[in-house]
Amino acid sequence: MEGFLPLEWCIVWWLIALPCLVYGVWRLKKVMDADREALPLLGVTGGFIFILSSLKLPSVTGSCSHPTGTGLSAICFGPWITSVICAIVLLFQSLFLAHGGLSVLGANIVSMGIVGPCVGYAIYRLLKDTSVNVYVTVFLATALADMFTYIVTSFELALAYPADVGGFGTSFIMFMGIFAVTQVPLAIVEGIVLALVFKYIVALKPDILVRMNVFSESQIIAARGEA
Amino acid sequence: MFEELLEDVAQKNGLREVNTCLKLTAGLSALVLCLLSTGYGSPLFIALVLSAAVLLLARVDLRIYVELFLVPLWFAMMSAIVIVLISGGEHIFWSWNPLPFLSLSVSSESINTGFFILCRVIGSMSALLFIALTTPMTDLFVVMRKCRIPDFVIDLGMIIYRTIFFLMDQVQQVYRAQVMRLGYSGWRESITTFSMMCGAAFITSWDAGDDLIRAMDARCYDGKFALLGENRPVELRPLAALVTFIVVSSVVVVASHGMTLL
Repeated sequence: MEGFLPLEWCIVWWLIALPCLVYGVWRLKKVMDADREALPLLGVTGGFIFILSSLKLPSVTGSCSHPTGTGLSAICFGPWITSVICAIVLLFQSLFLAHGGLSVLGANIVSMGIVGPCVGYAIYRLLKDTSVNVYVTVFLATALADMFTYIVTSFELALAYPADVGGFGTSFIMFMGIFAVTQVPLAIVEGIVLALVFKYIVALKPDILVRMNVFSESQIIAARGEA
Repeated sequence: MFEELLEDVAQKNGLREVNTCLKLTAGLSALVLCLLSTGYGSPLFIALVLSAAVLLLARVDLRIYVELFLVPLWFAMMSAIVIVLISGGEHIFWSWNPLPFLSLSVSSESINTGFFILCRVIGSMSALLFIALTTPMTDLFVVMRKCRIPDFVIDLGMIIYRTIFFLMDQVQQVYRAQVMRLGYSGWRESITTFSMMCGAAFITSWDAGDDLIRAMDARCYDGKFALLGENRPVELRPLAALVTFIVVSSVVVVASHGMTLL
């Protein structure tokens, strides 16, 4: 939320976010040069993240719980491009809906655009070539991307406002505890929803997934068989 | 299902014709001043001035503005309470140690901290709302291009911008139809229905995006949207108002240094 983090922390998170964004922009250029048809998909995943993350529930910690929707984009384009998409979406959110804010944008990009997708992507890469079902992979990647977004948010809040007794650790546990009430069920629901969305994509537009090397052709065929 | 987008308000606000850079400077400098302030006086002063500007100059409806403010204000109140409880101080009014590592207390110092953070949120929110309510995104794209942000990033921004409206339209239609068919009558139904809606909206917008790119390609799209950068001149009166605002606010920030409630 705008104005919630002190100035020094706003700057710190911006400094962490910027190099990742620059790298993401470079990767984005490569993808866009290589495959023009990726552009509509990039746009839709961005719009999708916007819609999902604007369904917000109040939480007590100066921030609020909402689905993030970043896992899907992380699977399709990798975490760095996702961070650029996220940065654009977060900017829109602060200007369209007054969610988030400009000073805390850096912190939000780090939690929702960088760490969350990185975790989601790592899980996807780990499980991709195993015998684990494609939909289970998508479920785990998206749900954990969401969870980690909130762990990092608690981390950011606790660093800015350490408790008087017990310092950073206590306030980290407190912020996490408050988030967990809303965020754990939300992450599970988000995982289920995105896995089902993925099922639609597999059923209707499998070709682009194969072309972008998200899953191999045989995996898609197997997944379609199950669907 | 969705709140009214600030964009709709921004497209027809009273300050629409003022130079975008001036409005952005006003909003961003107010934001920085709020974050720089150490007493609660200056964020409240900035909030007062900017709210007056939004309501009187931009002629934004009072009801919309108050509603926009209430939600974050509520969050801010709750968060300020958490901070009051976890940060200690010397003059303790009340304390409680429910767990060995957790100690909650209320002291005059922690009330001061909590109140200050609340005021800072109010000040910065008013700065954000000032930008959001007076400057439509389309104007910001022009400014971004001037700031040398790569063209394809701006293009992606514009495509996302368009997709958001398309998706919302889709989602609203599908949602209404689903509600009428009792799609959200139970917990399990809700999840299935909601995923169906997301999936359908995702695929339709994707198709629409494909169509858009094809249509643009047919019209010689070379990876760069042409933007009509209407150059609104910097006029003397808004400029004078901006300079006065920044100078007076900076003075207030310095004067209210360390100002506390208790």
